[in-house]
Amino acid sequence: MIPMEFFLVLAAILFCIGAYGVLTKSNAIVVLMCIELMLNAANMNFVVFGAYNYDIIGQAFVIMSISVAAAEVAVGIAILLNAYKIRKTTELNDSELTTMRW
Amino acid sequence: MIAEFTWLVPFIPMMCFLIIGIVGMKTPEKGGYIAIAGALAAFLIALAISFEYLTGPEFAAGEPITNSIRWFAIGDFELNLGYYVDGLTCAMMLFSSFISTLIFIYSIGYMHAEGNRKNRYYAEVSLFLTGMLGLIVSSNFLELFIFWEVMGLCSYLLIGFWSFRHNDGDAASANAASAAKKAFLVTRMGDVCLMGGLFIFLDLFHSLDYTELFANAQAVAAANPDLMTLGLLLMFGGVIGKSAQFPLHDWLPDAMAGPTTVSSLIHAATMVKAGVYLVARAFPLYIMDGNVMLFVGIIGGLTAFIAATMALNNMNIKKVLAYSTVSQLGYMILALGAGGYLWANGYHELGALGFFAGCFHMINHAFFKALLFMGSGSVIHACGTEDMTLMGGLLKKMKITGFTMLFGCLSIAGIPIFSGFWSKDLVIDTAFAAFEEGSGDAATWFLVLWILAVITAFMTAFYMFRMWFMTFMGEPRENALHCHGESPKTMTTPLIILAVFALISGLFMFFGLGDMLAFHGVVVDGVEEAIKLFTNPYTYLTLGLAVVGIAIAFMMYVKKTINPGKFNKDGESWLYKALTKRWWFPDMYNQISWKLGYGVAKGVNYIDRQVVDGTVNGLSSAVVGGGDVMSKVQTGHVQDYSSIVLFGVSVLCVLFLVIAIVLGGITL
Repeated sequence: MIPMEFFLVLAAILFCIGAYGVLTKSNAIVVLMCIELMLNAANMNFVVFGAYNYDIIGQAFVIMSISVAAAEVAVGIAILLNAYKIRKTTELNDSELTTMRW
Repeated sequence: MIAEFTWLVPFIPMMCFLIIGIVGMKTPEKGGYIAIAGALAAFLIALAISFEYLTGPEFAAGEPITNSIRWFAIGDFELNLGYYVDGLTCAMMLFSSFISTLIFIYSIGYMHAEGNRKNRYYAEVSLFLTGMLGLIVSSNFLELFIFWEVMGLCSYLLIGFWSFRHNDGDAASANAASAAKKAFLVTRMGDVCLMGGLFIFLDLFHSLDYTELFANAQAVAAANPDLMTLGLLLMFGGVIGKSAQFPLHDWLPDAMAGPTTVSSLIHAATMVKAGVYLVARAFPLYIMDGNVMLFVGIIGGLTAFIAATMALNNMNIKKVLAYSTVSQLGYMILALGAGGYLWANGYHELGALGFFAGCFHMINHAFFKALLFMGSGSVIHACGTEDMTLMGGLLKKMKITGFTMLFGCLSIAGIPIFSGFWSKDLVIDTAFAAFEEGSGDAATWFLVLWILAVITAFMTAFYMFRMWFMTFMGEPRENALHCHGESPKTMTTPLIILAVFALISGLFMFFGLGDMLAFHGVVVDGVEEAIKLFTNPYTYLTLGLAVVGIAIAFMMYVKKTINPGKFNKDGESWLYKALTKRWWFPDMYNQISWKLGYGVAKGVNYIDRQVVDGTVNGLSSAVVGGGDVMSKVQTGHVQDYSSIVLFGVSVLCVLFLVIAIVLGGITL
């Protein structure tokens, strides 16, 4: 049996890549994709712990999580589309979007 | 049983107040006749109640008729509303309602030219009468206090009736609006004291009902002498304010800014009598402490003397009368103080005599002072001025007013047969008895008070006749020349009735007034006291001094053989100035209110602006400024936010790990 650590390390690496993307990429779509990466890293942890502890709840929870993520992405993309309509760009550090802060 | 309807006595004037207030404008004289009818009805009911009580078994047994309903209760303090009828109540409500009726009738003539403002006037005087009658028939001190305050309000409203007028009295007087304010504020000081006293009594007795208090006075006073003394003193503070006693007497002369009928009402039938009544009503409590009674006597004697001095050189006809009222109130308080002192020291006969003298003088004073004020009102009505230096020789033009006022002056000066003689000499006798029977310092004090009282009697005779001679005798001066004759019948008829009473009300003492005003069952025998009066050499001393006073006044103001200017260096001597300045009492009030009041106000202002406002403003500007600074953290870059979130999460993770390791949950 493959030891649990392998999966956990894989998930951690996936999470770190996602986090790196979120923090550094300037394109909003890429950032959204990176968020999905981080989410899936977490989902992987759920599945692994569920499998190794003989507990079906872990996998069930992942289904839940994936569906929420789908909804969330839909909202995210809707916002992005609107922003794109106004600004004709999907850059995150667009000057006008960043001034909507105070 | 008509006594069950005692509540009607204050209730009818109150209804009149409401009716006049709501529909009075549509009735003739703007509600004047309603006010008269109300006062008359109150008088008739009072008469019926008095008749029933005085012929009933309760009176023979020396018991009051009293009944009350529960108003509310706080914890185990029960507070009631009810009536309490005894001899004192009967005497008080009879003369108050009777004199008020006459004053209201007189008002029809006196206030005739006031137009629509009359409506307000009649409504307010009805409420005023409600206050007084309610105070008289109350069965407990809380009820008394409520009506006491009603009167305070009405006096404010009525003194300020001509609030649009300005200074037309002597230099020290103020305009009507500030006179009203002064009356209200000064009496308020007393009222606060009274309220404090009532709280103490409530604490001591767990009730404010007269019957409860009087029954338990002995026991409570024995158990808690200090608190009892404090309560009595505080209650007397209320009397000092209301009855214009030294040192709070200064509002009463200023109160002359109101219409003369109002002055008459305040001085004769209501308001200032309430203070004396309170002492008389609470007499069973007061006699528990001889020292408090000594204090009461001292205040009364001093007031009598000081007020009389200020009347000596005043040129305003109403102000002279105002000072004389203060002075006579001092007499009443002195009699009650001396009587209570004597009773507290075991001399029950003399104590009851003091009580009787105080109340008796109050009744007599009501008659002759109402007469004098209404007489002066008639003079003012005819001459259009209050300044006596512009009058003179009016007797020819105003015979009825002149002669009726002469009756009043003779009465207040204490000439035999006239009412003032009997009661005033009883007062002076009581003070002397207190000196004879007293011990130590108290005896010395009462000797001083007796001397002051005798000198006051002399001064009273002098200034009253000075007023009368200046107004009615001598050659007519300015305003008197174009005076338009005698006042209308509505004004002269009450004068004549009151003049009759000023003549005979002293004789009531021979017809059962002594029984009515008996204290704790000790009856004053009028005939016996009269014999004592006439066999007492000191009576002749006072009488002689009074006659001398009249004679001096006659020589100064009619014969002109003595020039008054000789005594006061033509108004330049310091004494004359002191009297004109009212012994600097108004200045003292001003100084106190400026130095103390303004100082306190400044301190409060400083604290309010610096400390309270400072805290509030500091907090708000800290929040605003902090918000401003912190908002700069918002860069608008979503990645900055997410990095902060990530950083925070990592820190939390590390923290939990450390905690878990330290607590020993995980071993690496």
